[in-house]
Amino acid sequence: MKKQIGVLASAVACVLSTSAFAGVLSDAQKDNSWYQDAQEKLSEKLNRAQSKKAKNVILFVGDGMGVSTLTAARILQGQQQGQSGEEGYLSFERFPYTALVKTYNVDAQTPDSAGTMTAMMSGIKTDIGVLGLDEDVARGDCSTVSGNEVVTALELAELKGLSTGIISTARITHATPAATYAKSADRNWEDNSDMPVEAIEQGCEDIASQLINFENNLEARFLRSNVDGLDVVMGGGRRHFLPKDALFNSADAVSPVEGDRTDGRNLLEEWQQAYPDGVYVMDQAGFDGINTSTTKKIFGLFNESHMHYEADRGNDIAGEPSLSEMTDKAINVLDNNTKGFFLMVESGRIDHAHHAGSANGALSDAIELAKAVQVAIDNTDSEETLILVTADHGHVFTIAGYPKRGNPILGRVVKVGQNTPAQADDGMPYTTLGYTNGLGFADLGLETDADARYGLASDAGRKDLTAVDTQSSGFHQEALIPNSAETHSGEDVSLHAFGPGGSLAQGVVEQNVIFHIINQALNLIGKK
Amino acid sequence: MKTKILSIVMTTLVLGGCDEDLILKNTQDNTWFKSAENKLKQAKKYDVSAGSAKNVILFVGDGMGISTVTAARILEGQLKGLQGEENVLSFGEFPFAGLAKTYNVDAQTPDSAGTMTAMMSGVKTDAGVIGVDEDVERGNCASAAGNELLTALELAEIAGKSTGIVSTARITHATPAATYAKSAERNWEDVSDMPVEAVSDGCEDIASQLVNFETNLEARFAGLDVNGLEVVMGGGRRHFLPKDAAFNSADAVSAVEGDRTDGRDLIAEWQASYADGTYVFDQSGFDAIDAQMTPHLFALFNESHMHYEADRGNDIAGEPSLSEMTDKAIDILDNNNEGYFLMVEAGRIDHAHHAGSAHGALNDTIAFAEAIKAAVEATDSNDTLIIVTADHGHVFTIAGYPKRGNPILGKVVSVGSDSPAMAGDGKPYTTLGYTNGNGFKDLGNETNADASYGQPISAGRQDLTSVDTESSGFHQEALVPLSSETHSGEDVGIYASGPGASLVTGTNEQQILFHIMDYAAGLSVKADSKLP
Repeated sequence: MKKQIGVLASAVACVLSTSAFAGVLSDAQKDNSWYQDAQEKLSEKLNRAQSKKAKNVILFVGDGMGVSTLTAARILQGQQQGQSGEEGYLSFERFPYTALVKTYNVDAQTPDSAGTMTAMMSGIKTDIGVLGLDEDVARGDCSTVSGNEVVTALELAELKGLSTGIISTARITHATPAATYAKSADRNWEDNSDMPVEAIEQGCEDIASQLINFENNLEARFLRSNVDGLDVVMGGGRRHFLPKDALFNSADAVSPVEGDRTDGRNLLEEWQQAYPDGVYVMDQAGFDGINTSTTKKIFGLFNESHMHYEADRGNDIAGEPSLSEMTDKAINVLDNNTKGFFLMVESGRIDHAHHAGSANGALSDAIELAKAVQVAIDNTDSEETLILVTADHGHVFTIAGYPKRGNPILGRVVKVGQNTPAQADDGMPYTTLGYTNGLGFADLGLETDADARYGLASDAGRKDLTAVDTQSSGFHQEALIPNSAETHSGEDVSLHAFGPGGSLAQGVVEQNVIFHIINQALNLIGKK
Repeated sequence: MKTKILSIVMTTLVLGGCDEDLILKNTQDNTWFKSAENKLKQAKKYDVSAGSAKNVILFVGDGMGISTVTAARILEGQLKGLQGEENVLSFGEFPFAGLAKTYNVDAQTPDSAGTMTAMMSGVKTDAGVIGVDEDVERGNCASAAGNELLTALELAEIAGKSTGIVSTARITHATPAATYAKSAERNWEDVSDMPVEAVSDGCEDIASQLVNFETNLEARFAGLDVNGLEVVMGGGRRHFLPKDAAFNSADAVSAVEGDRTDGRDLIAEWQASYADGTYVFDQSGFDAIDAQMTPHLFALFNESHMHYEADRGNDIAGEPSLSEMTDKAIDILDNNNEGYFLMVEAGRIDHAHHAGSAHGALNDTIAFAEAIKAAVEATDSNDTLIIVTADHGHVFTIAGYPKRGNPILGKVVSVGSDSPAMAGDGKPYTTLGYTNGNGFKDLGNETNADASYGQPISAGRQDLTSVDTESSGFHQEALVPLSSETHSGEDVGIYASGPGASLVTGTNEQQILFHIMDYAAGLSVKADSKLP
């Protein structure tokens, strides 16, 4: 890496110069490529512009993408490109502004996605497990909802006449996307069959239904408003939109009966009736057929439950688009509105892969998120679009010592100067990546669906990994504490910002500050 | 936390009025909403022109990764009677934060020598080497020549600023050493640590380089005249004294305190060089220092590292806290109108983690935050750039899903529950844990985290049902059995205030810190102008 060729060149320059002395810093130090790279970065920092008002905002949420996940994903991405890995950057790690974000919920030290995304979308912290409601709600108690609803940045953007969109690789009714549009005393009320009878009787609406009724519900809350609804909705979760009847199965249904709804409603049909000019798609071919300049509304539900892990995407029956393809399509539809747009993109399965103890799954999905962010950068004007990238919380996922530079990030620790794996005190090798809790070790070979781990018993503690290929997609890392799923973690996550208003991402902030950054950039609650 | 009184008032006033005001009000009157809104209004504007920082203080929390910062914040809050999560450590108030990539040129997960060389000299280098670039071969004295780097502290010294280093570790340990020494091996703390060959090849041990800092720097630049380090405080007397009980200090722990086999008494040499300087080794000596009248201070409070903060009361002759040392250092350094450069290391956060003691690591982190608070209060943010960072993290995690306010050193108690949650093995588990290390220990009220090294390694799960995991002597469980818990490789936080602080943003290679300090304080420009 280090270059000393420059030394000769400047030595010549020195002779020609009238200056008697080159300065205290030697040319060797100043011409060192590490030194020069940092000097360039410093110049970039000094030269950046700081505009405040944005036309568009895109919020990317890497669910469960803590700082250790970012570093490991960066290294894997670099290694897949043939580099040592550590020296690279994920697309958004080149963003000029950062903050560190405190993620706890009002009632939880280590949070969940419902409380954290409500904080980001509504500017307030709330309890774990609730969506779009403040902390005065009692989780699971429908009767406590009324009066505690909060407004989201997506709703405010909609009210302001901006185009609005949500994308997730998880079910579109899952906690993170749901917190952009729904109010629910329980994140699990994804369709009516998930709700207690009492909650339905008391008038609470399931999350899928709230998605379809977004326009009506918003207009009912803001009497003078006339909005046109969500313009882009893409993700998984068809089961929450279809009746529990095999007749409604899609072409790539996995279960014998795809739908879960017990109220007989077909929400896909309801959506199509509400938006006759909208396009509903459920597979890659349908997705590819969308003309973004003529399509007013897209509703894409590519899977019965969550979409596939990126590493497993090829196994979808009828095919499904990648997160970066969806991001590209969404922007091309949303930017038809001259007033601007608000788009939320969630990489929902980084979290799921960690829960299943699969670093391979988590890092592959994080790399795909970085690609999606790059697509957003390439398709927008940085003078008018604020792009924010963050996580809702981390995972108990660590990068151990002391692998040498360029050691495969999914491999066993090989120390500096060595060529064979280091041994722990028990005489067995150990992986660089590991978890403090979860289901623990499994060797599922070439399996690419991290969730396959749930079919096997938990197996925590140390294992002999001497003959195991820890870099295979089916390898699940060891875990210390046996749990049915690996847990979230409580440490701060990062926020990366680029574009107008991005400079407000600074310091250590409570997570609900993210709403306020969006609000200021788009002037959502400001006077007209 | 939440206040709804205002929205009730509004409901009464605008009865029958428009709903949207009410809906927005419910959001806007929420105290979480207001405090976040106010946070953005506080966004500070510091001077970012070259040379605008008169003083620079670099605080390094050794091994203080992001999980350590969060856990220490919660513990500090809980010690104050708060729930903890909402607490803010002193440097959490700093307006700017960035991330630093910590790897060394040859190591994915780094060590303190390579990382501190990056921060101090602006270039990454290999693990284990001090103040020399990657062309050196670790442990090979002959390969050091020609690969020496200049540090921000040396630039400040040449520029005429006062200079100081403070550490709770041995002052010859990797982090402080990277501010002043050039060594092919971090372990060459004194002559007895070096191979004969390295000594005969002319390499100088680190302690000797500290005492010879002024003359060595002057020898590198013909005609240069500097006045040496004004403040040096930390541990590590053993590397400065001959291996002879006659040289033992009053609070020596070992029968023979000194390690040096060359007969040199570096403390006496220092005193001979700085006749007006004061050497102290205990709390009373420290307390007696008159900062206005002391041009040079050399303090070595322990034979090896200083005590863990939790264990400080057990020092034989007493030793000051990191915040006391920071305060004293600033009082001496700010006597110079040209300004100063000060490096302060909390060296034992790292050591406590290595020993598997979250209690020790978090208490040292809290003491570190107090030292930063002392610096903030003793300086003017218009002329002093303060940067706080870590050199690397540790494999230390905060697990799910404790309820709000659950004791951070305790067992996980889930939301809505009052008794510890059970893992799949039917046993409770702690919120804090390590993925490797020497594992569980229940040493009761022991406050010295290093006491665990006298015990056998016990990795894996234990039954913690009747164990007080909040006691100072509890060591967390670990997955992979190792004689010492390891560093981790993820990015660390950088926190900054003062002139140039707004450059501390984004994800950076760690060596950017040198460049920010150099730019903000105009170090190399001023140093160039001082050369004859």
